[in-house]
Amino acid sequence: MLTAGVSLAAAAAGGCRSRPPDRENAVVFKHQPLWGDPAPFRDMLASFERTSGVRVVTEVLPNAPDVMHQYFLTSLEGGTADFDILVMDVIWVAEFARAGWIADLSSAFPPEMLRRDLVGGAAESVLVGGRTYAVPWYMDVGLLYRRTDLVPEAPQTYQELEAAITSAQRARPELQGLLWQGKQSEGLVCNAYEAIWGHGGESLAADRLALDTEPARRGISYLRSLVERGLSPRQVLSASEEESRRAFQSGRAVFMRNWPYAWAESQHPSSPVRGKIAVSTLPSTSQSGEPGAGTLGGWQLAINERSPPARREAALALIARLTSLDANIEMAVHYARNPPRAAAYEDARLKERAPYIASLLPMVRQARPRPVTPYYAMVTDVLQSEISAAVSGLRSPEKALARAQKLADHLMGAHG
Amino acid sequence: MKERRGQGYLFVAPSVVILFVVALCPIAMAVWLSLRRVILVFHEDRFVGLANYRFLLQDSRFFAALGNTAYFAAVSLLIEVGLGLPIAMLLHRAFRGRGVLRAAVLVPWAIPTVVSARMWAWMWNPDYGLITRVLHTQDVDFLGMPAYAMHAAILVDVWKSTPFVALLLLAGLAGIPEELYRAARVDGASKRGIFFSITLPLLRPALVVTVLFRALDALRVFDAIYVLTGGGPANTTETLSIYSYKTMMRSGDFGYGSTLAVATFLVVVLVSILYLNTIGRGAVGTTEDKR
Repeated sequence: MLTAGVSLAAAAAGGCRSRPPDRENAVVFKHQPLWGDPAPFRDMLASFERTSGVRVVTEVLPNAPDVMHQYFLTSLEGGTADFDILVMDVIWVAEFARAGWIADLSSAFPPEMLRRDLVGGAAESVLVGGRTYAVPWYMDVGLLYRRTDLVPEAPQTYQELEAAITSAQRARPELQGLLWQGKQSEGLVCNAYEAIWGHGGESLAADRLALDTEPARRGISYLRSLVERGLSPRQVLSASEEESRRAFQSGRAVFMRNWPYAWAESQHPSSPVRGKIAVSTLPSTSQSGEPGAGTLGGWQLAINERSPPARREAALALIARLTSLDANIEMAVHYARNPPRAAAYEDARLKERAPYIASLLPMVRQARPRPVTPYYAMVTDVLQSEISAAVSGLRSPEKALARAQKLADHLMGAHG
Repeated sequence: MKERRGQGYLFVAPSVVILFVVALCPIAMAVWLSLRRVILVFHEDRFVGLANYRFLLQDSRFFAALGNTAYFAAVSLLIEVGLGLPIAMLLHRAFRGRGVLRAAVLVPWAIPTVVSARMWAWMWNPDYGLITRVLHTQDVDFLGMPAYAMHAAILVDVWKSTPFVALLLLAGLAGIPEELYRAARVDGASKRGIFFSITLPLLRPALVVTVLFRALDALRVFDAIYVLTGGGPANTTETLSIYSYKTMMRSGDFGYGSTLAVATFLVVVLVSILYLNTIGRGAVGTTEDKR
């Protein structure tokens, strides 16, 4: 801990270093590992190198968003020019844009073009103050998985969901109801926002987080009541995505809230639920009539503000190539990543070679971003602990949300 | 003679420099940062004097973390010494296979904490976990329920560190001269009497050092809890180190994060000084004095 100061100093010193000669004219791209065969991704980069004459160097970071965030925080603050393109989790865009660490891309990727070409909330998550700061590479969205042998029809509302669980459990009492992620982590915040939106809530109201509100209280109370009423097993409170997926895949539960990745694993020949599951949009209250919104996740490409002008053009061209319609489809086919471009879902190649991804269009359309604010990294810490207190029964949802509102207002008001 | 003294200084100089660079500099830097408001995202970096410390004194999350840390350290230490001493005495006896057993006992200590914490997280898992299977506690979610999570973390620490405590105490036992035991037996002392009049007093220096080592480790605990619960549920397992890490690395608030780090450092120093001047008094460094 005490070494933080030193690492800060080291990062600052890093900014003055010149690049090794082999990178002098190359575009350096920092990204997280893509699971699966690396060949298609390498081919994509190689074809870009051939057509553009630009050399690309890729550097892989650990597959841990917290660690990546920490790395970018210290190196970008230190003014590094060691890399030109970086990947960003959807929740970092506003923060990095506000800090001036990433370049304004509005002239190459105008906001209106992104709004027109991309599905649902994908464009909103990369726009800060009406300017483009990143381009969505691939997206993620919260889904409702269900066992089709137990529940043939997807529930639209919370009441239908509860009725389906109750009737499935009447026939087989050992079955668990809805699995979700209640461990104090970012996953819990995603689950909480889905419940809040499902009860008619918003993320932001006039630059403040909308936490101490009636829909938010109902949303969080609903999550708590799932555990209290036995509609969700107690262990959701310590579960993150993998724990949920394993339990669901072994056939223990009727429903699960998870990201699209859980599908591929469940289709393994050895999986007990193979061919017995389907995905749908998350439920909402019956009044709204709209299907529930899943949390928007995923990764965006941005340009390091300190990347020299000589490489800007090449970096922009690489981002354009990696976020093109063709690249969207290749990422879906080879890596099962959801395309941000609406046109991709209409493309025959996607429908034929990745029908599951293509089938997610209704959910992707409904996806909503968590609050887009430069304070997100600070307030999520408050959100995680207070929501955790509420769902684990340590504090009432009313009290927890009031506390979270106060702390978040304090954090967000302190800067302005 | 004078020349030789100068040479002496020259010889210790590298150690002094290294100590200064790797220990004192970071501490001084943390103290300096703790007096500033440093928010990376907003490019704030200004001197604020003791404002961070004033906030610290009203920060209920800090006091909660302090309480969690103290509870974790006290309980895990008590159990570790309580188990480590009997194990050390057992291993001290001569029996076949003692060497193998002594080595085997160290296995938990040899496994990296992050790995063992991950392993325990799966064992606590309410669906598949070994512990759930054996104890039939399907209704209990050890890592998700506020009343259990801290104790689950303590158990992981006990599992990992008891062998270390036992080994240090074993070294202490090995240093007690055998003649004393023989003499006591000749005088007809009971086993209980031997333990309390010979073993325990002569083991005291080793015991004092062991407890100090473990207490310092436990007060700075990070990895095991971070992997097990991430500080949850509802921050009930958040220790000072985790709070400080989150503030600095996740929120990018280096000023207040450093204040928390300095506070942790002060707590550790204070505890060590108090401990060495009360329970540990005279146990360390006395051999020199007595001569």
